[in-house]
Amino acid sequence: MEQNLILTPEIASGDFLTIFVASALVLVFGGLYVGLFTAVKVRLLKPWFMIIGYGFWLLTVYCLYLMGSLMHVDHFTAKALVVAAVGLLLVPHAVYYMQDHVHRENEH
Amino acid sequence: MAQKSVWSDNRFWRRSATWVTGVASVLLIWLTFDTMGQISMGTDADLKNGVTKRVPAPTVINYKVDYVFDSRRGHEVPKIGPEKEKFFGKFWSEEEAAALLHKGKLASQAKNCMDCHTLLGNGAYFAPDLTKAWLDPAWQDGGTMQAMTGKNSKEEAMVAFLMNPDQYPTHERMMPNLGITHDEAVALVAFLKHMASIDTNGFPRNFGRMQGAVHGK
Amino acid sequence: MANNALTGVGSESKQLATWYFTFAAIIFGAQLVFGVVAAIQFVEPSFLYGVLDFSIARILHINALVVWMVFAMFGSVYWLLPDETGIETVGIKIGKLLFWIFAAAIVVVVLVYLFIQVGPADDTTIWFITEGREYIEAPRWADLGIVVVALGFVANLFFTGMKGNRSGIVTVLMADMIAFSGLYLCGMFFTDNISMDQYWWWWVIHLWVEATWEVFVGSLAAYALITIIGAHRKVVEMWLWIEVAMLFGSGILGLGHHYFWIGTPEYWWEIGALFSALEPLPLVAMFIHVLYDWGKTQGEQMGAEHTDEDHVKSVITNKPAFTWITLNAFGNFLGAGIWGFFHTLPQVNLYTHGTQFTAAHGHLAFFGAYATILIGMMYLAIQGTNGIKVMNHTKASIWGVSLITSGVVGMTVALTIAGYSQVLVARAQMGGTWQAYFDGQAGMWFQQAMDWRLVMGVVTLLGFVFLAKDLLTSGKSPVHER
Repeated sequence: MEQNLILTPEIASGDFLTIFVASALVLVFGGLYVGLFTAVKVRLLKPWFMIIGYGFWLLTVYCLYLMGSLMHVDHFTAKALVVAAVGLLLVPHAVYYMQDHVHRENEH
Repeated sequence: MAQKSVWSDNRFWRRSATWVTGVASVLLIWLTFDTMGQISMGTDADLKNGVTKRVPAPTVINYKVDYVFDSRRGHEVPKIGPEKEKFFGKFWSEEEAAALLHKGKLASQAKNCMDCHTLLGNGAYFAPDLTKAWLDPAWQDGGTMQAMTGKNSKEEAMVAFLMNPDQYPTHERMMPNLGITHDEAVALVAFLKHMASIDTNGFPRNFGRMQGAVHGK
Repeated sequence: MANNALTGVGSESKQLATWYFTFAAIIFGAQLVFGVVAAIQFVEPSFLYGVLDFSIARILHINALVVWMVFAMFGSVYWLLPDETGIETVGIKIGKLLFWIFAAAIVVVVLVYLFIQVGPADDTTIWFITEGREYIEAPRWADLGIVVVALGFVANLFFTGMKGNRSGIVTVLMADMIAFSGLYLCGMFFTDNISMDQYWWWWVIHLWVEATWEVFVGSLAAYALITIIGAHRKVVEMWLWIEVAMLFGSGILGLGHHYFWIGTPEYWWEIGALFSALEPLPLVAMFIHVLYDWGKTQGEQMGAEHTDEDHVKSVITNKPAFTWITLNAFGNFLGAGIWGFFHTLPQVNLYTHGTQFTAAHGHLAFFGAYATILIGMMYLAIQGTNGIKVMNHTKASIWGVSLITSGVVGMTVALTIAGYSQVLVARAQMGGTWQAYFDGQAGMWFQQAMDWRLVMGVVTLLGFVFLAKDLLTSGKSPVHER
C-alpha cells in the first residue's frame, strides 16, 4: 500500500518565520506585479515599468517555492502552487484583454 | 471598432458563472455525501469488533483511549481499546452512554464552552484547546490538576474542577463558575472523552512531547 | 450618475435603507465596545470576572459583528434597488415591519446574552438562551425569526427585480441572497456528533464569508463604481459575472481548508490546499478592476477636458465613500488574501490552527472585505438623502477613516506576533497540551502583543467616535457641493 503513505514531515522551529514571511511576500509581490501591469496598461506609468512588474512575478514564484519547500508540501500541493503561480501570471492579461474589448465595443 | 467577441459578451460570462457555481456546488454536495458516511458515529458493535471509525460510538467511554504515532499515516491517531476501562467506576450500556453524550454535547453548547476554548481547534483562544483534553498530561495520575482537586481519578478531578473552577485557580486567567451541576459535569467529561477518540488527522501534532508525552513517546 | 427620480428622500426604499444603516452603525459601536472589554481581559483577566466574563464579551463582540453587517447589507440592497430597477421597492410596508421585528429580536437576544448568559444542559437553553456555537449563538427562536425576516427580505428583492428593470447587479444579488439565506438553515440543528456539528457549522460560516458575502461585496462595488465615478455599466456588469465565477469557483470548494482537522477524511487536505491557493486570485482581480476603472474614467475625463493630471476635475463624486471602497479593495486583498494565505495550507495549518493567527486574519479580513464597503454605502446614503452633488471629506471623516484603519491594522499586526510566538512555543515545541497553552500565553512577546492589541483596539474605538459624529453631521456640512 505504497499509495496510502501520507508523509507530513515536521517543520523545523527556525523555519516558521521564513514560511510566514515568504507566504506574505507571495501576495505582496503578486499584488505589485498585478498593480504595475494594470498601471502600465491604463497608461498611468511608462511602459518600461512592465519589466519591473514581471520581475515581481519572478519573486512571487521564488517565494512560493521557498514556502512550499520549507513546509514540505506533498506532490499534489506542489502542483496546486504551480497552477496558482501560472494563474497569477495570466489573470491580469486575461482581465485586461477582456475589459479592453468591452470598452472599445461600447465607446465607439 | 472592435469585433464583437465572445470574451466581451455578458451572456457568455453569465452562463460561465452559472456553470462554474453549479459544478462547484455539485462537487461539494457529492463530497458531502461521502464525508457524511465517513464521519457518522460508529456503533457499539464496531467498537467490540475493533472496526475503526473516524467518530466512534458513545460507548467509547468504556474503552481505554490513547493517541499514538502511526508510522504509516505519518502522524498521531487515536487508539481505542482493546482494553476496557471503567468510566466513573462502571461500564455504561449503549443507551446510557448515548444519553450521557447527548447531555454532554448540550452542556458544551449551553455553557458557551466554544467562546473561550477551542473544540477541534475551532472557537476562541482565551483558554486551552479541548480536542484531546481527556489525554492531557495535567489530568493524568500524578498530573497537576488531579493533585490540586485532591481526587484520585481523572474523571472525578475533572468533575470537581468543572463544578467549581473558581476554587482551583491554576493561572491568573481563571474559568468562571458557570453553574455546572454534578450530572452536567459527568456528561461533559464523557463528551471530552468521546472527542479525544475522534480521528483528527494528527491534530494536535506532537501532543505532550515536552511533558514526556501522553504515553512515553 | 446613474440616479433617477427615486433618488434621495423621495424613495421609501431609501428611507428604509437609512433605518437599517442607523441600526447597523449602533451595533457596530457595540461590537467595538465589547471587543475592547475582551481585549482588556486578555491583559487583566480579573476585569469584570464573574460579571461579564470573556465568553460573554466575545459572543457579543462577534454576534454584533455579524448582525451589523447583515443589517448594513440589507440596507445597501434597499438603497440600490430603486436605482437599479427604476421602480419603488415592492412590499415596502412589509419591509418596514420586518425591520422592527428584526431589530426588536436582536435587542431581546442581546439582553438575554448579557443577563442570563448560560443555561442548564437541555433543550430550553438551545431554544431560548444560547446555542453556544461560535458566531451563530443566537437561540433557536431567534433563528426562526431570522429566517422569516430573511425570507421577507428576499421576497421583496425578488418581486422588485421581476417587476422592474432587472439589471445584472440585481440578478446577481437575487441569486446570492437566496444562497445567503438558505445557508443559514445549515446552522440550526443539533447533533451529538461534534464532527458533524462542525461540518455543517462551516457551511454557514465559510459559505457566508468566503462565498456569498464576497459576491455581495462584488455587487456593491459594481454599483458603487457606477454611482461614484460613472464607470460603464456594461463593463462593470461583465466584470461582476467574471467575479462571481472566480469567487464561487474557488470559494465553494475552498470550504475544504476548514476540514483538515475536525474528523473529516484526508482528501480534504488536497481539496482545501488547491482551492485555497486559488482563493486569492479573485481578490487580486477585484483589485485590478477598481484601479482599471478609476484609471480609465479619469483618463477619459482628462481627454475630454484637454488637460493634464494636476488640473483635471476628479471623476469621484463621493470622496469619503470612494476612500472606503478603495480601502475595501486593499483590505480584502490584505486581510482575506495575504493573512488568509499565511496559514491556509494544511502543512502549516497543523501548527497555526486555533491560534491567534486566526484572530489576526479574522480582524483584518472582516474589516477589509466587509466593514469598509458597508461604511462606504452609508456615505452614499448620506449623499443621496441630503441631495449632495459632490461629497467631500470633512475633518471628522478623515480622522475616522485614519484611526479605524490604523487601529485595525495595528491589532492585526499585534495578533500576528502573538500568533507567531504561540505557534513556536505552544505548538511546534510543546505540542499543544494544557501546559503548552499556558506557557505560550505567558511568553513576553505574546503578552506585549496583547498590550498593543488593546491599545490599537482603543484607537479603533476612538476612530468610530469620529465616524459616528461624521455620519450624523456630515449631511449638513458646508464642505460639499450641492
